[in-house]
Amino acid sequence: MRAFEIMVYRQVKRFLRARSRVAGMIINPLVWLAFFGIGWSNAFRDTSIFGGVDYLTYLSPGIFAMTVFNQSFVSGISVIWDREFGFLKEVLVAPASRKETIAGRIFGDSAVATIQGAIILSFTMLIAKINILGVIPALGVGFVLAVAFSSFGVSIAARMRSMEGFQMIMALVMLPLIFLSGAIYPIAFMPSWMKALALINPLTYAVEASRVLLTGVSGIFPLHQSLLILLILTAVMLYIAMVSFERSTVE
Amino acid sequence: MVEEERMYAIEVENLVKKFGDFEAVKGVSFKVKKGEIFAFLGPNGAGKTTTVHILTTLLKPTSGKAVVAGYDVVEDAREVRKRIGIVFQDPSVDRDLTAYENMLVHGGVYGLKGRELKEKIEELLKFVELWEFRNKLVKFFSGGMQRRLEIARSLLHHPEVLFLDEPTLGLDPQTRAHVWSYIEAMKEEQEMTIFLTTHYMEEAEKLADRVAIIDHGRIIAEGTVEDLKKLVGSDVVYLKVENGAECFETDFGSCVVLPDGRIRIDVSNASKAIPRIFEAAEKRGVKILEITYHRPTLNDVFLHLTGREIRDEGGNLMKGVIRARMRR
Repeated sequence: MRAFEIMVYRQVKRFLRARSRVAGMIINPLVWLAFFGIGWSNAFRDTSIFGGVDYLTYLSPGIFAMTVFNQSFVSGISVIWDREFGFLKEVLVAPASRKETIAGRIFGDSAVATIQGAIILSFTMLIAKINILGVIPALGVGFVLAVAFSSFGVSIAARMRSMEGFQMIMALVMLPLIFLSGAIYPIAFMPSWMKALALINPLTYAVEASRVLLTGVSGIFPLHQSLLILLILTAVMLYIAMVSFERSTVE
Repeated sequence: MVEEERMYAIEVENLVKKFGDFEAVKGVSFKVKKGEIFAFLGPNGAGKTTTVHILTTLLKPTSGKAVVAGYDVVEDAREVRKRIGIVFQDPSVDRDLTAYENMLVHGGVYGLKGRELKEKIEELLKFVELWEFRNKLVKFFSGGMQRRLEIARSLLHHPEVLFLDEPTLGLDPQTRAHVWSYIEAMKEEQEMTIFLTTHYMEEAEKLADRVAIIDHGRIIAEGTVEDLKKLVGSDVVYLKVENGAECFETDFGSCVVLPDGRIRIDVSNASKAIPRIFEAAEKRGVKILEITYHRPTLNDVFLHLTGREIRDEGGNLMKGVIRARMRR
């Protein structure tokens, strides 16, 4: 367990050092909340389509999940930077289990992403009607979500041979997954093809679960069902990441 | 294999590595004795780093066999990993962590902890004279300091065999000499086998007990520095002559015309040969513009064997600098 523990330590330490990067990651969701959220909140007079809450409140759990998702996915895929700049080689020549090492990195990154989610939530509480009791459980959901997408990022990075595809993957993965998660608008009103895509998106279940916990607005699944599906998907993604990383080489 | 009977730290037989159609390593074989410094000397792209990556279990060979510290690098990769340390060619320190934290993380990945780890970190950071900078972020370290940290880090788990891939690439001469003194001290104090790759001939001459010269994926000569120099002769004389250069006299030893127009003659004793070279030149009406001689270096050996010089290709060095800057 030593390699796991030390990798968590490394990721958290690096996060605490890189303050400007952290600020950059937090500004983006705040802009969404303030401009997109408040703007539309005033335009949508009919709150019934959002389960009876104003749009800003409806959007808040979505922005929380989006923050955690963005941060964890970027951290996961940044394994490719580690490869480019040596740290990965360090790990690959060490006798420690590669599965354990990468799991440590994923959990460390997830802790970091959850902290960022918590920062966003604390701002959100000032402007939206958030159920305080739901905050801690929602952070738990955020952590599971982060494990899922850091793993996803690691799996992609393990297959990438260069930095060139990086921008394309970001464009291909990040925005579509956010739009297809119900973070910004209800899944219930999506056309069926879009709904089908939303249902295979792990982010959907995190958005649904945290929305129930934070605002009481339920979506298309009951809470326990969303949580169960999220946990299963996360476990699968973590396993795939561990296996992909084990097989990766420096070629 | 009984541990005490093992004489060699590294045994390589007919190692081949292909990347698609490109054959980076074309069947190299060599043995490195326990406790010696063995250098792979060759120009950039000769296959040095590929060989190191195979020996350190990062790459699988296409064919051939390599045994490091008594274990096969393919079949017993994990056992090999426990017994080796490596300083990579490209910087691999964590720039957002302090020197101390870098050591701590490395130790953790190798399963070390507690007081034993702390004492070892202190000992090694003192050894490379970085103890007073232990709480400084590595991104503020100079290239030489980063290298020293990497050396200290590679010693943390007390490896039997240490791989140094171009340990002084891109360092200024003064820092290079400094790093050399650590490598020499390491061999003395830590009693380990060191496998070094370099394209600086002075580095191989200064540090290595034995040198293998590698070019285009093949070992073209191997032996002690003295052995290799004997391939050339005892002295090397360079001539620059007016008009077309050609070997006008071959009585003295092997003579070649270099691509830059100079003539190189290998002689047994330069101070005796030079007056005779002048006589011979005068007899043939060849006008000598310049004459220099020196004891042969490994560069002359390389030149003798390949007709080219081991040169520090500036382009590649620049690449290293740019890569270092690209780091976040």
